[in-house]
Order: sequence, then structure tokens, then C-alpha cells
Amino acid sequence: MDYGHPLEFGAFINPDSADPAGVVDLARRAEELGLDLVTVQDHPYQPALLETWTLLSWIAGSTDRIRIAPNVLNMAIRPPAVLARAAASLDLLSGGRLELGLGAGHFWDAIAAMGTPRLSPGESVDALAEAIEMLRTIWAGDASTPLEVPGAFHTLDGAQGGPAPAHTVSLWIGALKPRMQRLIGAKADGWWPSLGRLGPGDLAAGNAVVDAAATEAGRDPREIRRLLNITGSFGPTAQGRLSGPPATWVEQLLPYALDDGVGTFVYAAPDRAHLETFATEVAPALREAVATVRDVRETEVGAVVPLAIRAKRREGIDYDTVPAALAATAVEPGHAGFAGVRNTYLRGGSPGLVLRPGDADEVAQALSFARSQPVPLAVRSAGHGISGRSTNDGGIVIDLSRLNRIEVLDAATRRVRIEPGARWGEVAQALHPYGWALSSGDFGGVGVGGLATAGGIGWLGREHGLTIDHVRAVEIVLADGRLVRADAEHHPDLFWAVRGAGANFGIVTAFEFEVDEVGDVGFAQLAFDAGNVAEFLENWGALQEAAPRDLTSFLIIGRPRGGQVVATVMATVDSDDPDTVISRLQPFATLGPLLQQAVQILPYPAIVAAPDGGQHGQGEPATRSALVDHITPELAAAASKLIHSGVSYFFQIRSVGGAVADVPPDATAYAHRSANFSVIAFGAGRTRLDAVWDTQIQPHANGLYLSFETDPRPERITDAFPPATLARLRELKGRLDPENVFRDNFSVAPAKPGLATVAG
Amino acid sequence: MPDYGHDLTFGTFITPTNAAPAKVVELAKTTEAAGLDLATFQDHPYQAGFLDTWTLLSYVAAQTERISLSANVINLPLRPPAVLARAAASLDLLSGGRFELGLGAGAFWDAIAAMGGPRRTAGESITALSEGIDIIRGLWDTSTRERLVVDGTFYQVDGAKRGPAPAHDIQIWLGALKPRMLRLIGRKADGWLPSLAYIKELSDLTASNTTIDEAAIAAGRTPGDVRRLLNIGGAFSTQRSDRLLAGPPEQWAEQLSDLTLEYGFSSYILSGDDAQAMMILGQEVAPAVRELVRAERGADETDATPAVGL
Ligand SMILES: Cc1cc2nc3c(=O)[nH]c(=O)nc-3n(C[C@H](O)[C@H](O)[C@H](O)COP(=O)(O)OP(=O)(O)OC[C@H]3O[C@@H](n4cnc5c(N)ncnc54)[C@H](O)[C@@H]3O)c2cc1C
Repeated sequence: MDYGHPLEFGAFINPDSADPAGVVDLARRAEELGLDLVTVQDHPYQPALLETWTLLSWIAGSTDRIRIAPNVLNMAIRPPAVLARAAASLDLLSGGRLELGLGAGHFWDAIAAMGTPRLSPGESVDALAEAIEMLRTIWAGDASTPLEVPGAFHTLDGAQGGPAPAHTVSLWIGALKPRMQRLIGAKADGWWPSLGRLGPGDLAAGNAVVDAAATEAGRDPREIRRLLNITGSFGPTAQGRLSGPPATWVEQLLPYALDDGVGTFVYAAPDRAHLETFATEVAPALREAVATVRDVRETEVGAVVPLAIRAKRREGIDYDTVPAALAATAVEPGHAGFAGVRNTYLRGGSPGLVLRPGDADEVAQALSFARSQPVPLAVRSAGHGISGRSTNDGGIVIDLSRLNRIEVLDAATRRVRIEPGARWGEVAQALHPYGWALSSGDFGGVGVGGLATAGGIGWLGREHGLTIDHVRAVEIVLADGRLVRADAEHHPDLFWAVRGAGANFGIVTAFEFEVDEVGDVGFAQLAFDAGNVAEFLENWGALQEAAPRDLTSFLIIGRPRGGQVVATVMATVDSDDPDTVISRLQPFATLGPLLQQAVQILPYPAIVAAPDGGQHGQGEPATRSALVDHITPELAAAASKLIHSGVSYFFQIRSVGGAVADVPPDATAYAHRSANFSVIAFGAGRTRLDAVWDTQIQPHANGLYLSFETDPRPERITDAFPPATLARLRELKGRLDPENVFRDNFSVAPAKPGLATVAG
Repeated sequence: MPDYGHDLTFGTFITPTNAAPAKVVELAKTTEAAGLDLATFQDHPYQAGFLDTWTLLSYVAAQTERISLSANVINLPLRPPAVLARAAASLDLLSGGRFELGLGAGAFWDAIAAMGGPRRTAGESITALSEGIDIIRGLWDTSTRERLVVDGTFYQVDGAKRGPAPAHDIQIWLGALKPRMLRLIGRKADGWLPSLAYIKELSDLTASNTTIDEAAIAAGRTPGDVRRLLNIGGAFSTQRSDRLLAGPPEQWAEQLSDLTLEYGFSSYILSGDDAQAMMILGQEVAPAVRELVRAERGADETDATPAVGL
């Protein structure tokens, strides 16, 4: 039986504790020789051997390409929960180069001497089965969901899940007996015996047991790779099994591959020269010989999708037709990395497929595939959407995180090309060495794609305007799959629309920005006791409006605690001169009793740092947004009511105005240029927040900033876009996206065709 | 006995977050580039946000050449001592003697139990640690052919083969604050590794040192057999301040040399994951502390050698 696995060759290295340097050297040599795998036996009771996990980790740190695996890990002695994290860690550190060989343990006297309980053979198989379950459960879990795994030998009782390894780590089991072989058929990814311990016919018999168990479990036997440890030596004349010239080896190994389905040969070479002969003379020749026969037999070669992955696939997505360019990096619910991509910063999600294109052409392919599937589509750059629902349930996500290049096009004009998957913290880091910055927002984790298509109300807004005001061109994939460049001359309507309502028109694959010269900035955090909230807000608003443009401040108020309202003013002064910074801030110090203050001169990247790591949002955020021209006494009183109502745990007013207002309202799809303030509230529940917001704040609003709004009611569209803007957007939408493919973020209904069109 | 005369070493305490593994490895390399002596990582195997510390130590050891490495500190309840001993010896052999063993009794018992580990009272955990040390040292000791038997309450070995022996005498450092642990340190360990952040008054350090010293003497050892290491955090700035480790490098140097001369510390391990601070510690603070301490210790003691454990 040939299972059609692409052939792989590995080295079985003896971890001699008397010669650590020699061991590592041989592992490196295996990599140089182009072998696929370096493996190390594990006998933790045996002092003549280096401890396997330590050695494997060291080898991973000393090599770049070769995959590594214990051959096989003694699971009687290795607690599986810690092993799960260790394996994920090694896979992450090594860039996805770990596979796990596992064994139930034998040499029970030696194991018991180490203080580990003695198990009967049957018990050890059951314990291994539990361990396999535990490894996979931890890898698939996430830190926020406590895991409960009951077991007779191994239990998890509220442990955190994760981390996920970098790739789906294969579990290959060393086994000789039917009981273990049945376990392999039911659960494992490979059977890995040693030839020396097999008699004639044992491979075929073992395969039959494995295959029957696999079939019974609903799996395809081809899911299970067959590996074989071999020994032998090279010499001029053939002298029995695997002792002779390489050509004889090839002849003798060929039937193992073609008749017994062995896909991986792991050679325990007695020395370096033998390993070299194996790698350079046996491996290529055997590959070729196998390929020749497979051609004739028309054997299907390649990996089959395991049942465990197929079982988690969602209705409505034809997984088998994902374009080849995207398939390799796509993440399905059954894949190891799914926990890291399913959610966004603020939302829990459960997509059926996450496509991760690497360039604009792949974005177009992803879009065309997604359009052919009857499931929801979400577009994601860095997953910080509030209005933008960049995950879904059972649908497709086009995740642009791999499009994250930042490139200076022309230093003289400060022209920079930035791809949407870059995050603003990274942008700040990249621009800083040039003495430049691009005002984005207040948080470095936010993505370029979502923010630069909507607005960009940032720390330097009053001095430097919105982020969209710096866009000079975009490259965008439209609903019909075309990649176009839009700027002032080309597709000017589209260029207009992308700056404020971009999410409605396509997937931006690159932005060209003209960035600003920005040195270090003054950054202050001033916490006040805002006893009289209304008065405080009004005074702050007046001070902010009167301040020079180099000062932009944001004000945050949490839920009142014990009657106290604390207002934190975060202010940025676009100046590195301490005297200027102090003089700008001085007036603010009089706003009320200061509880805390910190003023620093910082490089711009320091105030928009990007955190590392995956996103684990849950549920749905409830937020409201309003843009207002001034903090009038009426608005201040209303805001005070909102704050004291307790429905908002995070209330913020950001100053806009200044340079933002220099741009005419009809120049971009962000039209509310007269607004000096953006007001935002996050609430724990939508109904309660809406009840207060609708009556208190809404009457004072003069539009909203869509990026901060999550209210699904249709009126919000007209708040986001005044009539003239909306009409123009609808008309353009009717031409460019008549079927409303892009509707996950402030969906503008396409105008019916036949209305007058403007050249786009 | 304030100053134990150990040579001074400086190191880093790096958060092993798994969100960006390459950055963690990079900080260890920065530690080496900064001329520091030691990189350490905390060990909380129940914490899914961290890289497995043992794996990381081994990987980082392969990617560095000169610095020593240690956990700060190993969670013994989740890392059974017999395998740990061989793993430590192996890492020491692979790295040419660059490994030291920081050990802890365990603290977050809910999380440990959640992982399938044991739940122990404070007293039990110290007994277990003591048994663990006996097993570890027993397995490292290949100078005898005597059958290794440790019949402890929490850990047993019965005839496990000794070896491999590490490349150098791996030091066992214990993180501890309470008297019972301090006494264990005096009896069996090579180092005391507290964190400055958890110390309320500097005068507490004197009392703790005394506890360790007395226990050491009672066990037939000398106080100098126990190195005193300190996890520190702080901020560099241009302005001097009246706070500990908040000011210019000169102020840090003065304060650290005081800690050496008055409280006996000889190793300082900086937290904060800040590459720039690591460079300042290695390039400016460390040489200045060495200079100040050398001057104070006097010419006759300038080549003080590290004390070796029993
Ligand atoms: C913590 C936090 C802080 C914030 N601070 C600020 C701030 O200071 N100032 C400010 O202006 N905003 C701020 N925002 C709002 C933020 O700008 C938006 O939520 C933005 O959409 C996030 O961009 P993203 O790429 O990370 O989001 P994603 O979740 O990846 O995308 C959100 C939506 O944007 C659209 N989109 C994403 N990429 C593209 C693309 N390449 N082409 C077309 N459409 C695309 C999609 O409709 C998607 O649903 C903040 C949000 C958060 C969560």
C-alpha cells in the first residue's frame, strides 16, 4: 500500500552526553545535507544521553531550516500539559519546525527509579491517548477560556489554553503492538516504528491495523504518515539488509516505500560519512525511483486534509477550490493558528476561513473566491475595527496582515508607501529615523487599512490634520477584482470616497502618504478631580479651542466611583522645547484639583507603541459617536448626565479642528470639518447606552465619526454622511459596487443604476 | 557580615512573552552585546502567554556565546526534579558551562493544580524543594558510585543512574523572602535571589542575610558560600532623585555599590525589557559599580574569586 506521501529523509542522532559538540555538529550537517528532519531519542533515565528536549531546543537554535522531532518522547515521564506549552514554544521559536514523536514509555524499572509511577502496558497506552488529547486541547485553546479535561492519568482543571504552535504540529507515535496501532489509526498523524524491531510482514500487518482503526474513526488512512527508523552501513559489496553500496540500499528501501507506504526514512548513521552518503546518494535516488513508479501507477501524491480539520469546516465554503496561492497560508477552524486569527481586538468571531493574501494580486484572487461563496465577507487589516466588523460567523475573512510593508518613495517630498496591514506603531517606528511622523490616532496597535480609509483623529490632529488628509494615492482592489490606482488625477471620485468611506468601495492594498516633519513631542497626562463635570468639560473645551494648533488634547472620564469623577486629560504638544510645552499646558493645570500629573518630552513612537500578540476580543462592543462644533453649556450638562448615569465605562472627547478644518467639507468623504470635538462613549450594554445617548447627546450632535460608532440603526448613515456626501457616495457605489460586496462597515446603499453619473 | 566579597555580575530579567518570540531572543542577545553576564527568564508554565522557559533557555543558549543563563526561577512543582537535573546538566554541557539553576518552590497553587500539578502548603513546598535539591545534586554527582536513593515525602528516586555531570558546578539559587526558605538557602543553596520590589525596608535585607548566614554556619558552611543576587527595576534619567534606582547611571552605581558593601549583594538582574537600559547597565553602571566596590574593598581583595558551594 502506497499512501502517496511525499518522501522525506531524516537523521537519527545519538545524543551522546560525552560529546555534546559532536552531536550538534551532526545536526547542523544534516541540515547542510538537505535532509528534512533531525531526530533524537529520549531516555531521560539514561545519563549517557543528553536530555532530549534541551538538545532539540538547542539544535533548533543552531539551525535554520531543518525540522526537528524527538524520536520518540517518553510520555511516561513527561507531564503533557507542560509539554504542550513547551512544544508550542519550540515551534514558535523555530518558525514552525517542530514535529512530535511520542511513545508510551518502556523500561519501566528505569522510569520508576526516576520517581515516576509504573504503569501497565495497557495503562500506558491509555495515558498516551489522554496526553494526545491534552496536547491538542491546549494548542487549540486560548488564554481566556479555562480548560477542563478530566482523565484517569492526566487532568486539566481550569488551565489556560494556548499558545498555539506556529504550525499544526504532527503527532507521530512509536509503536509495535496492535493496541498502540489502533490508537494511531484513531488519533495520531503518523506511525513510527524501527525496522530493527520488526519481523517480516510486521509493517503490512501494522498498517492494516492502523488503517482499519483510521477508517473506523472516519479518517482517511492517508492522513497517517508512515515513518521508519533504519540502521545500516555502506560498503562496496552487498551483504544483507542495508549493508552495501547505495544502489543496493535504494533497491532494498524501494519496496518499503511502495508496498508498505513508508514516507519518511530516518537513518541512524554510525558516523558523519554514512549520513553524507545516505543524504547525497540514497535519498535522491530513492525519491526518483519512487516517483517513477508512482507515475506509472498514477498514485495520487500529496497530503490529504485530516478528518479533524474537515470536521470543523463550515457550511457554504468550498474549501477545495481555494486558489492555490492562498491555500498555503489560509487558516481554517481546524488549524493550529485559528485561535490567533478568529477574533479581533473588540469582537469574538468564528469565521469559516481566513485568507491571508501576500500581495494585491492575491487580494484580488481572495476577493473573487469570496464572492463566489454564499457566506459573509469581512475585510481586516489589523483588527481594531469598532464600526468595522472585521470578523464574522461562518464566513470568509480577508486578512491583510501580511501586506505590511512601509517604504519611503521619495525623501525630498516625504512620500511614503504603506500597506494596510502595517500598524500605526510600526509606521511611527519606521518614520522616526527620518524625523517624520504621520498623525494617526492614539494607539499603535490600530491598523493602517481601517483608519486611513475612514479619518484618523490623532495626537497631532490640530497641527497636522486627519490621516486621510495626507493620502496622495491609493491602490485598491474593486468589487469586480480590478486593481486601480486612485489619486487626484485618476479616478478622482474614488479617491474622494476612499478618504472617509473607503470600506465601501474596495480593499486598499497600499496608500501613498505625504508625511510631516515631527521631532520629539511634549506629552502630558493630567488627572483631575472633576467634581463639577459640566463646568470642567466646558472649561476644557474653551481652553482647547483657544489653544495654538500645536496642542491637541483628549479627555477621558471613566465611570464615577464613590461619587468621584476623575477626568484625565492627555495632551500632545508638537514641540520638543520644554518651555513651549510647559507654557501650552499651564492653562490646563487650573482646570481643577490635580490628582496626578506626568509631563514628558518623548519621541513620537513612544506615544503610539504597538503591543504584540493576538487578539482575543469577545462579544460585541457598544459605542456611540458624535461630532460637535463646541462644548456648549447644554452639551456639557448633557454629558454630565451621561457620565453620572453610569451607562458608560469610558467616555472620551477628542479635540479635532485646527488643520482638520482647513480642508473643505466636500474635498473628502469625511465631511464634518467644522467639528472641533469628537465625543465617544463605550457602554456595557447597547440598550442602556442608547437610551441615555439618544436623549442626552444626540440632540447636540452635528454628525458622527463612523470609526467610533457601532449603532446599527439606519439613521447613523445620514449622521456619518451629510446629504450631498451621501448622494455622491451612493452614486459611486452604484457604479463600483452595485451588489454591495463591501458592506461590513457603514454600508452605503448603492444608488439604482440609471441616475446621472459623474466621471469616476 | 555585610560584604561577602563575591565578584560582581550583572544581568537581565526578560519577560518570555510568546507574542513575539524573536524579540525575546533579541533581548537576550542584547544582554550579551551590552557586556552583561547573565540573562534570566521567569518560569510560569501555567501562563499561556509565556514561552516555555526551559525551551527558551536552551534555544537562547544556542544563540549566544558568552553570557550565562538561568531561570528566575524554575517552577519546581511543574518540573519534576530528576528530569530537571539531567536537563540542566545537558544544557550546561551544550553551553560549555553557561547555565545556573534558579529554583522556586511554587506559589500560584491554583494555576499549578489546574495544569495537573500538585497543590502544596508553604511548608510542604519547602520540604519538596529541599528534596528536589537533594535529587538534583545527587544526579549531578558522578564522583560516587553509591546507589542514589532519596526517599522524600514529595519526591523519590530509587537507584536512578547518576549523571551526566554538568560542565561546571551549576549554582542553585533560590528565590525566597521568608525565614524557612532562607534557612534552606543557608543549608543547601548557592545563592539567594529575591526581588527588590518585594522588599519593604532595606533593613529587612540585613535580617534575611543573618538568617541565611546562621543556617549556613549551622550546616558547616560559610556565609560566603551563598551568593546574594537581586532582581532590580528602575529608570534611568538625567536628574538625580532621592529614590532607589531612579536617576543617572552614576546614581545607580553608587546605590548598587552600597547594596554590595552594606547588604552583600553581588549580582544585579534588571527587569523592564528595555534594550537601552540594558546597554546603560552593561556599559556604564556595571564598570562604575565594580570600580567603586574595588576601591572600597581595598587592593588586597581586588581579585576576589567567586565562592563555591559545598
Ligand atoms: C484601541 C483603539 C483605538 C483607536 N484609536 C483611534 C484613534 O485614535 N483615532 C481614530 O481615528 N481611530 C481610532 N480607532 C478606530 C480605528 O481607526 C478604526 O477602528 C479602524 O477601522 C481600525 O483599523 P484596523 O485596520 O485595525 O481595523 P480592522 O478591524 O482590520 O478593519 C476595520 C474595518 O475597516 C475596513 N478596512 C480595513 N482594512 C481595509 C482596507 N485595506 N481597505 C478598505 N477597508 C478596510 C473594513 O471595513 C473593516 O471592517 C481606534 C480603535 C481602537 C480599537
